[in-house]
Amino acid sequence: MIWAVILLTWEGAYRVIGWKAYQFPAPSHVLDSTLDMLNIRSYFGQPLHSGWPWRPDDQPPDTRVRPPIYRSPLVVAQLVSGTRLAVGFSISILIGATLGLLMWRWRGVDEFFGPLFLGMQTLPSVCWIPMAILTFGINESGILFVLVMGSCFAIAIALRDGLRTIPPVYQKAGLMLGAGGWRLYRYVLLPASLPAMTSSLRQGFSFAWRSLMGAELIFMVWNHGLGFLLHVGREFSDISQVIAVMAMMVIVGMIVDRWVFAVLEKRVHARFGLSAGR
Amino acid sequence: MTIAEEDISTDTPRPPEVETKAPVGRGRLVLEKIDKTFPGTRMAAVRQLSLTCEPGEFVVVVGPSGCGKSTLLNVAAGMLKPEGGRVLLDGRPVNGPGPDRAVVFQDHGLFPWLTAGQNIEFGLKMAGMGKEQRRHRVQEALRMVHLSQSGGKLVHELSGGMRQRVAIARSLVMNPSVLLMDEPFAALDAQTRTLMHAQLQDLWVQTRKTILFVTHSVGEAVRLADRIIVLHAHPGRIRTEIAIELPHPRNFDSREIGELVHRVRREIEDEVNRVNAQMAEYWKPQTPDDMGGHLVDMGGGI
Repeated sequence: MIWAVILLTWEGAYRVIGWKAYQFPAPSHVLDSTLDMLNIRSYFGQPLHSGWPWRPDDQPPDTRVRPPIYRSPLVVAQLVSGTRLAVGFSISILIGATLGLLMWRWRGVDEFFGPLFLGMQTLPSVCWIPMAILTFGINESGILFVLVMGSCFAIAIALRDGLRTIPPVYQKAGLMLGAGGWRLYRYVLLPASLPAMTSSLRQGFSFAWRSLMGAELIFMVWNHGLGFLLHVGREFSDISQVIAVMAMMVIVGMIVDRWVFAVLEKRVHARFGLSAGR
Repeated sequence: MTIAEEDISTDTPRPPEVETKAPVGRGRLVLEKIDKTFPGTRMAAVRQLSLTCEPGEFVVVVGPSGCGKSTLLNVAAGMLKPEGGRVLLDGRPVNGPGPDRAVVFQDHGLFPWLTAGQNIEFGLKMAGMGKEQRRHRVQEALRMVHLSQSGGKLVHELSGGMRQRVAIARSLVMNPSVLLMDEPFAALDAQTRTLMHAQLQDLWVQTRKTILFVTHSVGEAVRLADRIIVLHAHPGRIRTEIAIELPHPRNFDSREIGELVHRVRREIEDEVNRVNAQMAEYWKPQTPDDMGGHLVDMGGGI
């Protein structure tokens, strides 16, 4: 509701005062641009007169042959970015979880790597790009490298901290009930660490998504992700597209966080009786 | 002291579906000259402590806080390794925790990701028991602790007393030789505790497990025990043993129990006073002189 008021005010201010659309666009321009990336021509950003929001009389009809919507730049970019995220995030979880587990299990490993990883976590993921270019070259592995480096340390640290909050009595109870060796890990420590895992995954995802967008903005490879669309917007001085893509990145990040990780976390917390208000 | 099997049938008529086992000759727990000092502490937590629990005996260890009673229990459970001495269960040395010495923890230690029933089932699953048999045993265990309706509930949905009952069922279902209980009712309110005492006594009369029970509550000790061990603190050693020769099940409000509580409490009070006198070497209450005298005049200038 508040958002509707803000957007309407913004649009109204634009229409009344007459800002320059190439410096800062109105919501209607962004909408046009988004639809354009979906291969749909629209006229929401045109001046209000007869015919709005359909094609004004003084504009020639759009005669370009456009591919269908499922092959439009935005959809393709989403698929490309999504695939990269899935592959990179999986690698990142594997590496991060292993490191986190080792740091939790052996104090020596933690003392050696802990401060280093904390430092690496503060390093912006874009800073890995030069190294990725020189080591892996401008290709998919380079992008994945940046993504993994940007998120696996956050996962490792979050997992280690979460594992440390497991009450020692679970371990004692497991041993007492005859769960020794690997069975202690499989049947006691693994389920006991679920709350820690879900929050570390949630944090890891936001790091991974940020790193991926940064990497795609710089790496010019054949498969065009969302970051590449942002780059194209800049190259063509198309501020509407820049803002449209940024909004898209925020929306994707929010949807995945809310509908995947928050739901997962909520279910685990409900199971453990950790939900707020208890 | 063991109570003969006939006593059970005469004292407490049980419904036939509950099996009454009297594992006589099984569950003899012997602690021999246990020494345990925690790293970084000067004083031994437990020194040269020997204790024998006969099969089917209910032994309660009481003592002032910090007297090493939890240490003793953890050593018996195999969670702590003593520096000296050894623990024997039915003649076999104990090394490491195991299902033959089931522990009931103070904060229950139930797994929150499992339901009450699954928690009870856990030990059986680890022991490799078949699914159908497990289900049967879990039902039986739930019935024993009067929670037949709550097997599907999650741990956080149960009250404190119910959680402890599930913890007891989880231990008993594995048919251990010895039950070790570490202040299991300390976190419960007084009413629930009394209820739990009655239920635990019932369970013990039914199953005749050897129980080693640790508590700081004298009332609890007198109500439940065959034999009370009063520990001596700094270092932990046995001070006295008091045999409680009242038959089970007991009327907790009887005069004998009241008198016994009084007597044991006096023993403990002596011990607490001794500990406090000892502590006085390290810490004295401050007098106004110690504080430089300025507090004495506080407000004097008004």
